[in-house]
Amino acid sequence: MIVSRRKLITNGLAASAVGASCIGIDSIVPQSFAFAPPTNDAARASDRILVVIQLSGGNDGLNTLVPVKDDRYYAARPELAIAKHSTLSVGHELHLHPSLRPLETLFENGLMSVVQNTGYENPNRSHFESMDIWHTCRRKTSRRQSGWLGRLLTSRAESGGDVPGLHIGGEQQPLALKSRTLALPSVTSLEDFSLKSRQADQLGELLKSPATQSNSELLDFIQDNTSTAMVASERVADAAGSTNKHEYPDNALSKKLQSVARLIESGLTTSVYYLSLDGFDTHAKQPAAHSALLNSWASSLASFVKDLELQGNAQRVCVMTFSEFGRRVKENASSGTDHGAAAPMFLTGHGLSAPVHGGPPNLEDLVDGDLKHEFDFRQVYAGIIRDWLGAEPKSVVGSFEPLQLFT
Amino acid sequence: MLAQPNPQAVPQNDNWAPYLAPLDRAQVAHLTRRAGFGCSNAELDELSGKTAPEVLDFVSQPNSPQLDAVTKRLASAALAAGSVDNLAASWVYLLLNSPNQLSEKATLFWHGHFATSAEKVTDAGMLWQQNALMRQNALGTFAPLVQAIAKDPAMLIYLDSESNRKAHPNENFARELVELFCMGEGNYSEKDVQELARCFTGWEIRNRRFRKNRYQQDTGNKNVLGSSGKYDGEQAIDVVLKHPAVGNFLARKLIRFYVSEASLLEPESPAVQSLAEHIRKSNLNVGSAVRQILTSQQFFSSESVYQKIRSPAELAIGFARSLNITTNTQAISLDMRNVGQGLFRPPNVKGWDGGRAWINSSTLLGRSNMLHRIIHDDKTRFDGESTISDYLAKRKLDSVTEISEHFATCFIAVPLSPSRIKQVISAAEISDSSVRTSIKENQLRHLLHSLASLPETQIC
Repeated sequence: MIVSRRKLITNGLAASAVGASCIGIDSIVPQSFAFAPPTNDAARASDRILVVIQLSGGNDGLNTLVPVKDDRYYAARPELAIAKHSTLSVGHELHLHPSLRPLETLFENGLMSVVQNTGYENPNRSHFESMDIWHTCRRKTSRRQSGWLGRLLTSRAESGGDVPGLHIGGEQQPLALKSRTLALPSVTSLEDFSLKSRQADQLGELLKSPATQSNSELLDFIQDNTSTAMVASERVADAAGSTNKHEYPDNALSKKLQSVARLIESGLTTSVYYLSLDGFDTHAKQPAAHSALLNSWASSLASFVKDLELQGNAQRVCVMTFSEFGRRVKENASSGTDHGAAAPMFLTGHGLSAPVHGGPPNLEDLVDGDLKHEFDFRQVYAGIIRDWLGAEPKSVVGSFEPLQLFT
Repeated sequence: MLAQPNPQAVPQNDNWAPYLAPLDRAQVAHLTRRAGFGCSNAELDELSGKTAPEVLDFVSQPNSPQLDAVTKRLASAALAAGSVDNLAASWVYLLLNSPNQLSEKATLFWHGHFATSAEKVTDAGMLWQQNALMRQNALGTFAPLVQAIAKDPAMLIYLDSESNRKAHPNENFARELVELFCMGEGNYSEKDVQELARCFTGWEIRNRRFRKNRYQQDTGNKNVLGSSGKYDGEQAIDVVLKHPAVGNFLARKLIRFYVSEASLLEPESPAVQSLAEHIRKSNLNVGSAVRQILTSQQFFSSESVYQKIRSPAELAIGFARSLNITTNTQAISLDMRNVGQGLFRPPNVKGWDGGRAWINSSTLLGRSNMLHRIIHDDKTRFDGESTISDYLAKRKLDSVTEISEHFATCFIAVPLSPSRIKQVISAAEISDSSVRTSIKENQLRHLLHSLASLPETQIC
């Protein structure tokens, strides 16, 4: 049976019964996740959802939002530059890669916002180091045991019943979601997220119960994750019964977004979903690969927004898209681009303050052939934390002036 | 009899000084699980009382000609079909059956170190060739391996470096050479990467083979890591390998893979520093470093015993080897992929992070499901028997407690208390007083699967 939490509340069922159907949070987690009934105000910060899409590998910002007026762009990329006439103009001086056509309507309806030239001081061009910086908000020189979303969700943990964050995907769990006290689930697919045993219930009960007298930190870590997995799988099995209300294109990111939409529809109170799309490390033969990736991203994003609108949940969901760095301004000799620095970030959803923050990239003033950043990515995080999720950003990202991203 | 916890005290002076005492059964199990993928109960009995170097000799015996022939036949069929999945199954066959466990484990280490994936390199022949290259150099010195990898077609294609021209050098291989293969991030500058990239200009893959295109070679002077010269690629690798950071980098990766992912790994820890020193002094001889690690006081101490999370390979292959299981190798390799360790499909150029990164809700459910499938697969034989009941009868194991303890000692490293065993039996709804002949085959399999799914099973 699929019962959304809000439906249960309107039916006046006991809070404890609702609590029992919540994902993943029970005695294993030090914080108290006592059930707190939400008000009817759907736009309340505690009902809002953030979906993070990570474009892994370093997305070429310059070929995503094309600086069509800049001759230096065309000079640096004799082979890879996108001709002005094939870009899609969406106003506000923004010219999209032709594969981003599904985003046109979103821009028209005010549901897209671009933050130009995001990055950080002294950019690192290693995928892994740069990704760690985006995930933890910290440099390698300081201790990095938690990610920004892990810290955020730990500080908000008492407000809901279900697990506060979910990673959707088969790759390893992103550092962004790590924290010292919360074990968050990763779900590869809703259908496979269960024990395949004829005695699954008995086994699930056994695995939830802690190992006796553990004095091993490692065993405790596994026990916490095992308990989370067992409780979460029961709840996700319920959500797997809900269906999407809109068609999606056939690609890997779409499948993940479809899962997110179904989980939202099923009434899960989870406030952060994290997913990624890999393949942006286009050192060679960039045009075809990049075009296909951008189209995957744009088309699944557009379908996701429509699905949420049909559900009536669109007002509650903001999608943030980022990549660990942009790419070198100058193309290389393999029809590709090497690792770069600053690049645009994207927000998708209702209540956005402006279609674009910041100016077009400055191709005159480069550092080592790479774009300088205008905004620190942590200003974007801080704006989302403060104005979308209604939390205090400083303890999560440090002292960065939040950007005014929402109305 | 349950194995007793036996970690030794943490060594005070030289972490890697040899552990000289004869090994008890649990220590032999510890060593064979880390050096390779474990061994059967009968082998544990046979090896108890031997020293660590003697056990290492046992797990590094050469493959029989028959085994080599079967593996070759399986791989040839996979290559003829162009199937990377079948190729992965061929390797699983070798992991399960090779008496040279030390070499196979080290080959898997290098596969994660010089990660190359079929997601991009679709030529199965190239992947198998790279696998052979790693096996050949698995326990030798580092330099020849790096030199060979730098010219390996699969690697260069994976890193988009099949062509590299003078005018705009492609930085990808040069960057990964210092960041992920030899030194680690933070030990070089962006300028070093760019200069290194110039050294590899003219290196390319044509018709599936490496060659140097001298017309595209940048013959000018380069400054790499503080020294300068008209370096070509080979010389550039020599320059990189002379850097002291290489020893530390290899030491940390080896400790993480063979010993523990925890405190030992702090870059400044004495364990890392002293192993790095050994590695530098031995001219980067990784084989001798692996042997030193596995026969050291540190390795048998409480900082190492039960301090590692099993990789999917260690879990699946180790489970099968511990019960003398023969089974569907194709299914095992697919299962391993589902829980994050597809052979020939590492997640990215950094390879598998390992440790706690193996564990999340999906992989925990998947690990349990993987062992469930092995236990229930029609092709599975338990030491040649098609039922667990016959397997147990052969070993004269009767009471449900004896049976559970037997399974636990086979594949669970952490000792289970009697009350934990009781808890598992009762959760399986089997009465404490049951004997084998009164327990249905399905219940026995469920009992085995329950033990295999415990959090304790994930540790070794």
